[in-house]
Amino acid sequence: ILKSPKKLPQDFYDKATSNKTQRLVSVCKMYFLDYYCDMFDYVISRRQRTKKVMQYLEQQKTVNNVSATELNDEWYSYLQKEHEVLRKRRLKPKHKDFE
Amino acid sequence: SQQQTTDFNYTPSHQKPFIQPTTGTTVTTHQDIKQIVEVTLGSKGVLNQAVKLPKGENVNEWLAVHVVDFYNQINMLYGTITEFCSPVTCPRMIATNEYEYLWSFQRGQAPISVSAPKYVECLMKWCQEQFDDEAVFPSRKDGVFPARFCDKVVIPILRRLFRVYAHIYCHHFNEILELNLQTVLNTSFRHFILFAQEFNLLRDADYGPLLELVSELKDRE
Repeated sequence: ILKSPKKLPQDFYDKATSNKTQRLVSVCKMYFLDYYCDMFDYVISRRQRTKKVMQYLEQQKTVNNVSATELNDEWYSYLQKEHEVLRKRRLKPKHKDFE
Repeated sequence: SQQQTTDFNYTPSHQKPFIQPTTGTTVTTHQDIKQIVEVTLGSKGVLNQAVKLPKGENVNEWLAVHVVDFYNQINMLYGTITEFCSPVTCPRMIATNEYEYLWSFQRGQAPISVSAPKYVECLMKWCQEQFDDEAVFPSRKDGVFPARFCDKVVIPILRRLFRVYAHIYCHHFNEILELNLQTVLNTSFRHFILFAQEFNLLRDADYGPLLELVSELKDRE
């Protein structure tokens, strides 16, 4: 990449080193770092929660002999809670008004 | 038009024969991008896993969350190069010379050619209006998604958001490199195409100028 001539605008370096651009670049990097950390954290912990709930329901079925209807209800009420959490993630205030 | 044929940062290989750089300035940017993608994106299938619908989740909600996320990511990415993407540098919303994206200001009227910043501005406003519409992106607990939400809302938005990636890759990639944002751009774009692939949202034709890059990124484990 070092060998390829870069067709940058003449004033590129002035603009690139300006405080405004530098600030935008660091905000952008932080945003992505934060986003991907948070996103992976959500995906992994959600899977763990689901696994626990399924184990619990399985146990209720075999050990305590709870009816299928009840287990079904419990499963759907769990999904409903997860659904609400996910919807809130979409609605949380974002950093889009940074500039 | 001589100038137009030399400002590609990313050039699909089939266009290369038509581009005649002046002697001594042979640009092998397509190869460069491949190398950078190679270096920066690791080889773990973490993103492939992360896009999968969680067990029992409503698919529309999962699509909606991601549409908003990609909108925010593109806003961030484009935000960093606004100084370099002006009506002067980019008077038309193009991605290579083969693709120009027009904006339709009024239903029933022919879409017109606008500058890249104007296009992005209109696009972001158009997305935001849909996000704010309770009938399209419900925010209340009991709010439901409209019928055919995926076909009528998700796909049209993603098709247009893609064009901002296309413009950045084709006309501002060198600036992105200088600002050291290539990892962020590649990760975001790869996430975008893996998501689109998982739910069958975009066709090859939608990828236009970036089709080669897309297949490159898709094939990676």
